[in-house]
Amino acid sequence: MSLCRYLPVPSDRMGIIWSLLSVKDSIILEYGPAGTTHFSMGFYGTLGVDWQHRLFTTHMNEDDVVMGDVTRLEEAIVELDKSYEPKVIFVVASSISAVIGTDIKGVCNYMQKEVQAKLVAFEQGGFRGDYSIGLTEVYKLLVNNLPCKEQKKRKKVFNIIGASMGSYRAASDVWELQNLIREAFGYELHTCLCHETSVDEIGDIGTAEINLVMRQEGLPAAEVLKNKFDMPFVVSAPYGYAATLTWLEEVGKILGQLPDVKMCARLRLKAQNTASLKMYAMMMGRKKTPQAAVIGEYDLVKGLSAFLRSVGIDVKYKLCSHSLKSIVEPELDIQYISVEKEKIDILKKMQKTLVLADDVSHRLCDSSNVVVRVSAPFIDGAQIATHLPLLGEKGTDFLLETIEAYYQTLA
Amino acid sequence: MAMDGKELVEKLAKLSQVQSIKDIPQLTHALFPGTHCPLMGAAMAVGGIKDSLIVVVGTDECTYYTKSMTIHSEKFGGIDGRCVSVVLDDHDVTFGSAEKVQEAFKEIIEEYRPQCVFLVTTCVIEIIGDDFDAISEGLSELYGIPVLPVHTEHFKCEDHLPGLERTITVCAEMMKSCDSDNSVNLLGQRMGDFATTELYAMLQKAGVKIGLQLPCGCSVDDIKNAAAAKVNIVVNDIALPLAQKMQEKFGIPYVYFNKFVIPEKIYEAYKNLFGYLELELPGELEGLYQNAREKIEKNKGELEGITYIYGNTPYAVFEMNCFLSSLGMVPQVIQTNRYTEADEPYAKEILQYTDPYVCKAANIAPLQYVYDVLSPYLYLGHEFGNRLRQKGIAIVHSDRASGMLGFEVTGYLLQQLVKSVREAKEYRKELGL
Repeated sequence: MSLCRYLPVPSDRMGIIWSLLSVKDSIILEYGPAGTTHFSMGFYGTLGVDWQHRLFTTHMNEDDVVMGDVTRLEEAIVELDKSYEPKVIFVVASSISAVIGTDIKGVCNYMQKEVQAKLVAFEQGGFRGDYSIGLTEVYKLLVNNLPCKEQKKRKKVFNIIGASMGSYRAASDVWELQNLIREAFGYELHTCLCHETSVDEIGDIGTAEINLVMRQEGLPAAEVLKNKFDMPFVVSAPYGYAATLTWLEEVGKILGQLPDVKMCARLRLKAQNTASLKMYAMMMGRKKTPQAAVIGEYDLVKGLSAFLRSVGIDVKYKLCSHSLKSIVEPELDIQYISVEKEKIDILKKMQKTLVLADDVSHRLCDSSNVVVRVSAPFIDGAQIATHLPLLGEKGTDFLLETIEAYYQTLA
Repeated sequence: MAMDGKELVEKLAKLSQVQSIKDIPQLTHALFPGTHCPLMGAAMAVGGIKDSLIVVVGTDECTYYTKSMTIHSEKFGGIDGRCVSVVLDDHDVTFGSAEKVQEAFKEIIEEYRPQCVFLVTTCVIEIIGDDFDAISEGLSELYGIPVLPVHTEHFKCEDHLPGLERTITVCAEMMKSCDSDNSVNLLGQRMGDFATTELYAMLQKAGVKIGLQLPCGCSVDDIKNAAAAKVNIVVNDIALPLAQKMQEKFGIPYVYFNKFVIPEKIYEAYKNLFGYLELELPGELEGLYQNAREKIEKNKGELEGITYIYGNTPYAVFEMNCFLSSLGMVPQVIQTNRYTEADEPYAKEILQYTDPYVCKAANIAPLQYVYDVLSPYLYLGHEFGNRLRQKGIAIVHSDRASGMLGFEVTGYLLQQLVKSVREAKEYRKELGL
């Protein structure tokens, strides 16, 4: 990648920080220049995560950089521990400390005896890859470091792994999954990595009966929990009625409980009704072929593409917005284009296409296309609602409305 | 969860102990939100220079935030606008970024056709030691346009102002000798519109042509022709190095006309300016001066004894605090990220009245606990109004002063102070203080 005209893919460090900001009773201390922290506040604010009394920086000066002096970091750790009494202090490296090779983990090790808070080091300074890699790391590090050794199983509770506040409609998607599992099985959410959780909740994450993994990056963490606490898990991001039903049935098999019968009947009926859209598409197809492009995170692209196919829309482009390094055996037709120019050329050539993507991609498409925002970055307006998911039943209701609107443009 | 405000205050230095910026401590070791970055300062400056392009060479994070800042900016031209980047990865950190930047430049020239490029480097570039002065020179020669390097490593400076300073200073490279057109350049105005200021009105009335306005709004051509000015007006310290360079290179004198609040300082600046312009001092200035003096006398009583904490404002820090101290107001803490020789006379005068605590700025999280100990009436700068109200403190707003220069600044400040003192008294009554 050479020239970046728009927004680059957020780094591993950014993914780590927006995830950690969702863990209450903890503090994030960045070992780096203050300007980065200050600059980041606006961005994290748009994601709906709270940084008040949660995000701090040590700042760094030339002496720290040239001499490798970490006194500033040591003093900040002690001060935060004493002043705010957090349960955990996440010490996060910056690009500078990563390049000069500061041993953040070493500092946390020897400082641990000086403080009450548990110190957890994140040494990724933004050079290990994009946020997809950061998410994999953060989920894994949290389940490796925070859970207590003994976990007493509790009935009727589940965890979600893989929520990322950097994703469009992340809070709404978590809300939808919660509602679906509650209605289907009467289970309640225990903790969600990483959305509105806390140190204590992650501390007894192993008490839940099952982990529902909503994105590939959560898989390594789910495997850690399976080995540690014998927790089963299901990996799926259910887009579309049929996929939601299949997902619930799969979860039900593990729980040893059938999903609520009425709910299943409702979803089945809705899934059948969408078949008429496919027929409509075929009729339309004689004149104009309905086609789509899906641009976003891997599981979203995979799930939405499958759903669109099921309603008769040919998905011409499946573009992942992050690298595929964290994805185990990615589908071959889902591409990550690292050269921005190539992506721009694709978008500029699109005609009469249903484009499910981010705001930047939408700006690059001409007006013959129908655009729907399904992924980040979102730059037009704000994301406020927490009840407008893309996943699950309600997400599909919304998607179908947009598909209907798209079909009208083809008439 | 709380900090010991008393302990925090005890750790601070007193103004009487300060010899240089090194004597001014941070309020705490862990900061929130911390100062702005010089990269942001550089972007702010480039925003005001039409036909130019900013190319940020840095991490995903640095480039992401800079682009985000410009996306909704009309000045930058929105998302398709004048801010692009070259994003560094681990390979560039190991093997250098020159090749990638050169590659990106081909696309930049083809797609954006800029008249000038500010090649802005960030912390990592300075650590790995890529020679961007040489890279910029090579690109300038290759493409025949000015490619100007701006270094914005934050670990070598305090806040965003050096980013602004370096961006406008490097503009001197583009300036060429030309015949004088008796104009004045306005250097250093960061925010606000110069055309709304009293100083502008005075110059207009005197028939003085306004030349370059850097960085608040100009074109690359304006910069190239800036040497046609008779005088440079420096309205902020960020423009001093540029003015000094222009004086050396083109013999253009400069007048230091900061956002002063002391009427005598303002009058002196006007006199210097019109002296250099070889024009008669406008008669109405005497009236404006007298008016400012009268306002001081009228409001002094209400301000006497009022305690405050100074945060961050568009005014000149020590000149303004000196003025407030002379009115009988009591600065309890002065937050600042710079202290120069020019501040010393003001500091000395403040010390005749009181000896306030001093600390670095932009660390509002622990300040909450300092308020509980010092219980000031006022906070001068940006803070959360409702939070302060609960502590009986009123904010003195000053953003509108960005668009002011001259005696109007004194009047505005006094007006805001009196308004806020009355508010603070109400708040304290509500709280039973």
